[in-house]
Amino acid sequence: MRPYYQQINPTFGEWTWNQNPSDQLLSFQLAYLHYLNSHWINEIIEFRQGFTRVSIVWKSPERQDQFIRETEGLELIPVLLTSKVWQVPVCYDSIFGADLTHLAEEKKISSSKLIELHTTPLYRIHFFGFLPGFFYLNGLDPLLHTPRKSMPSASVQSGSVALGGSQTGIYPKESPGGWHILGRTPLSLFDRQKQPPVWAKPGERIQFVPIDAQQYQQWNPNQPQFIEQ
Amino acid sequence: MTQELGKVQLLRCPPGTSFQDEGRKSGANFGIPPAGAMDLKSYHWANHLLQNPPQSVSLEFSQPGLSITFDQQTFISLAGGQAQVLVNDQSIDNPSLICIAPGDRLKIGSFQKGHYFYLCIAGGFITESYLNSGSDFDSVTESANKKTGEILFYKPRPKILDQKAKVKWNSTWFESPILEVHPGPDWSLLTQGQQMELKSRTYQLSKNRSRMGIQLEELFSNKLPDLPTNPVFPGTVQLTPSGKIIVLMRDAGVTGGYPRILQLTEDSINQLAQKKTGDSISFQLI
Repeated sequence: MRPYYQQINPTFGEWTWNQNPSDQLLSFQLAYLHYLNSHWINEIIEFRQGFTRVSIVWKSPERQDQFIRETEGLELIPVLLTSKVWQVPVCYDSIFGADLTHLAEEKKISSSKLIELHTTPLYRIHFFGFLPGFFYLNGLDPLLHTPRKSMPSASVQSGSVALGGSQTGIYPKESPGGWHILGRTPLSLFDRQKQPPVWAKPGERIQFVPIDAQQYQQWNPNQPQFIEQ
Repeated sequence: MTQELGKVQLLRCPPGTSFQDEGRKSGANFGIPPAGAMDLKSYHWANHLLQNPPQSVSLEFSQPGLSITFDQQTFISLAGGQAQVLVNDQSIDNPSLICIAPGDRLKIGSFQKGHYFYLCIAGGFITESYLNSGSDFDSVTESANKKTGEILFYKPRPKILDQKAKVKWNSTWFESPILEVHPGPDWSLLTQGQQMELKSRTYQLSKNRSRMGIQLEELFSNKLPDLPTNPVFPGTVQLTPSGKIIVLMRDAGVTGGYPRILQLTEDSINQLAQKKTGDSISFQLI
């Protein structure tokens, strides 16, 4: 899984993988990100990670040229992905999961079956994007893949757990959104007063754990729990 | 401490008025956009005239202008668009550098040219810094916008500036319709015919615009595939399945799922920021 480097302009380029997002691809990507951090950080203005790319903004065209010369044929050993699994409580009650019943009907399954399908997988965190504290997860059951809403909702509440396309995720703050809302987590996803402002890292996993409305009210939003698995 | 600070009060300000500087160069790994002045060129110019440090916080605002009052003597600088500028109802001929007396009321009327204005003050506005930037952004700074009635603080600087040396702000640089662009990461997904079409057509700015992005009026029909979500930057041009062309700006999320067909140069981003709804643009590949 060696990426190829695509130069986009004199100071910008991307490591490109043409495979579908997977744990294996991520374990290579993290190795290449680590390499950037330890060897090239002084030459770089910024780099960003997506499912199949690592984008790099260089301080000068010369730096990018040097990088292209010196990394030709570079082959790294993938990193071992961590066994850390964050247990994310989700209340799937209809007061929080406005679209759950409708979605279950559309899929011709019961609401409890839908919740089971959503809470069974361990989802891998690939990177953060969209909004501060929003993590992109891989691993949604294909049965739950659903086109986004044709008319996005004007306001989705902070903590809403939702799915759209082949993705599932949590809105870290109130925002307009086109995903189908299944429930809500009491956990805070982004806190600017903390360093770092998020509690999870790319490579770690998420499991959604169903809780009831009473548990939701009493949950401490600032103490996310994890297990090793 | 507060009595040592200078104060200004926003008597009236349009929606979207915000503190901006050069923006954040870190935080994308947590999903935090860079933010920063939409038109960095004008922002830098205004700070330069005041001999402020380059990262000094300015007030960014748009139509229909604003009015503001000052509590003590200072210098301010205005750059970006062009509009009627009044101090105590007296028209100011060259607003690039204005000497302000205590109690003065500054009023910027509706714009004749441009879309964003930058008001810088000698010494710079004071605000909480997050990841080395004072740029307002929802959930990252205390508030996302400034509101009418709000009081803003700055650090007064006793240095007197030579007003004779002032240069008049020139807006011709953003009036050209031609935006210089590089091919984007997904440029090669377009057919040669589509590439030619993209380069030869002109487009108009739609009214769907914000600090996150600017949507163009004309549709560009395409059958590009769904792509995995990957990094985007200010100036990335995205093409949606329904044919909308969206140019991402300073507050856009750091990743996106639509094909990234073009990338504006830094100068083109500033130029586009100052275009008005209905203005024509075209893309010139470099």
